[in-house]
Amino acid sequence: MRLTIRAIGFTVTLLWIITLTLPVSVALSLLKLAEGKNLGIQEPMFTFTNGNLSLTMPLYINNTGFYDISEANVQVKICKANIVLAEVSETLPDIPAGQMVEANCSFTASLEEIFQKDRTLLTEDADLNVNASLHFRVAHLMAFNIASVSATQWGAPFHNLTVYGETYNETSHVLSFYVSFNNHASFFVDGPLAVSIINLDNEIVGASSLNLNVQPGEAFLELVEVAVNPQKMTSSVFIRLSFANLEILGRLVQP
Amino acid sequence: MNELQHGFNRRRFALRVARAFLITAGYAVFWLIVWFLTSMFLARFPNFNRLFSVLAGGLLFFTFAMTLTEGTIYKHILAMVRAFFLIVYLTYATNGGTLTINLENLTFTVEFVPLLALMVVINLLEVARGLLQAIDFAAKSPKDEVTQNLEIQGAV
Repeated sequence: MRLTIRAIGFTVTLLWIITLTLPVSVALSLLKLAEGKNLGIQEPMFTFTNGNLSLTMPLYINNTGFYDISEANVQVKICKANIVLAEVSETLPDIPAGQMVEANCSFTASLEEIFQKDRTLLTEDADLNVNASLHFRVAHLMAFNIASVSATQWGAPFHNLTVYGETYNETSHVLSFYVSFNNHASFFVDGPLAVSIINLDNEIVGASSLNLNVQPGEAFLELVEVAVNPQKMTSSVFIRLSFANLEILGRLVQP
Repeated sequence: MNELQHGFNRRRFALRVARAFLITAGYAVFWLIVWFLTSMFLARFPNFNRLFSVLAGGLLFFTFAMTLTEGTIYKHILAMVRAFFLIVYLTYATNGGTLTINLENLTFTVEFVPLLALMVVINLLEVARGLLQAIDFAAKSPKDEVTQNLEIQGAV
């Protein structure tokens, strides 16, 4: 029995040494990783294509620590008040100890989905909360999670969208009006802006399209001329503007 | 003769208490140093001071009680109770192996459930060891003890 007791005592001592040494060595490993230029993020690139907003962020991690880094995951949640507008996450590759890994951290969010949750984002600037979190596991034993909450200003791509100066030419049956807005967003507004004229019976009496290519911070002003069906024309009509299948303006006018 | 034995026992007990007190005081100094060192880094953890004082106080109590009851079966029972205390304490203090610190806009979370599981296993091993030691102690006859003492003194 004494031998068993001694063996258990020896095992307990050994396990305590391992248990207490591990967190210290993991902390040292992380400190080694944090020092110098072992971790780098290159300039993020915003692109806006097919109604999808993409953020690409090339990064490199040189794992100079003692342990492998696994389950690395970056998650970004964008909220306005209590509404979650977008939630994106990206899993990074495992980084074995002593190796350098280059990765591309890219997030794609559908603007259509975002604007469906809050349509005012298209035409009104807003204060948004960005919850970003980084999760990773060291030595397959200890997991770390760093989460930050920051406020950011959302610039509306169609800020101050206005339709004015409507005139109806009864000879040529053309309804003309001006469309103006300011692109407060940080991305290009690029794509077709669909214009529909709808009569009081809810029938489309005319349609047109504008090709937009508005740079960030730039103002847009253009005269739109839409040929309408004179037989279906009513005293008042709705002018509906849509971008990427999203209605951004509906206004009743009396030309 | 009886009075002499009583006086002798009282003296032995007083010496035992003094020894236990001195050892506990030594450990108290050790825990004080540990507190000074750890509070520099871990003071931001919620309830750090309260949790640390519970741990230090609990372990100092066990040190005192175990030193006082040395040579009796109670020492082994106390070792088992201490192991259970550590299991409960570690699970409660570490919130089941997940610690969170809030720094203004930043929340830092460390999750070490496997490590906590290892600590629980270690303490369960301590319980097993205490139990075996208690059985071993109870199984010893006074004759064995005399033989063992003589073996230690090199008489046999």
